[in-house]
Amino acid sequence: MQDRIRNVLTAHGRMAVDPREVDDQADLYELGLTSHASVDVMLALEDAFDVEFPDEVLKKSTFASVHNIAQVVEDLVKTSV
Amino acid sequence: MITAPGEVDGRRVRVGCDVVEVEDVQHTLATFGDRYLRKVFTAGEINDCRGSNRLHRLAARFAAKEAVIKAFAEPDMSFPWHEIEVTRDGPLPLLRLSGTLAERAQHRGWLSSSLSLSHADCHAMAVVVVVCSPTESE
Repeated sequence: MQDRIRNVLTAHGRMAVDPREVDDQADLYELGLTSHASVDVMLALEDAFDVEFPDEVLKKSTFASVHNIAQVVEDLVKTSV
Repeated sequence: MITAPGEVDGRRVRVGCDVVEVEDVQHTLATFGDRYLRKVFTAGEINDCRGSNRLHRLAARFAAKEAVIKAFAEPDMSFPWHEIEVTRDGPLPLLRLSGTLAERAQHRGWLSSSLSLSHADCHAMAVVVVVCSPTESE
């Protein structure tokens, strides 16, 4: 799952670094992810995993790291089955 | 970009601001189309942004939503974008909160807010100033 998330970040995160090479706990905002780019990432994740991000997970912390994104997406995938 | 709690005449003041690249809005709109608009903006905001400077207006409204989130200064708080709406009173932009964010603002003692939007060719920005009661209700 993390590889797919990193691919989404690479395509839509518009970050200054290669998301495929960052630690899964690294702060993505510190690495250049903007609030607006996190919208792109969220929409692309919805497409990639066929899920929808509900309001309650729309938090800064959700997109703060690859690890956090993976946790949220994993939960969404489980509940969407 | 900043949040600066302070106090004026015994009332707490909260400030939030944000700046958005217009090109980012253009890119997202080109990639995700109406889905992006519906996810982030209210029907009223989408309507207000029709016509000239559409991208700049959308960017300013996104900046306003981010500015509000920063004024709350709660990084782990959920932020339903539709619950933060920029409306207009003639030429003046106004801030309208609804749902859970309105309740949260009430608990935090938010009494009134002032919103300012601006844009240049490449960027749009927003500043929100909130006057709060001396104490929170929670």
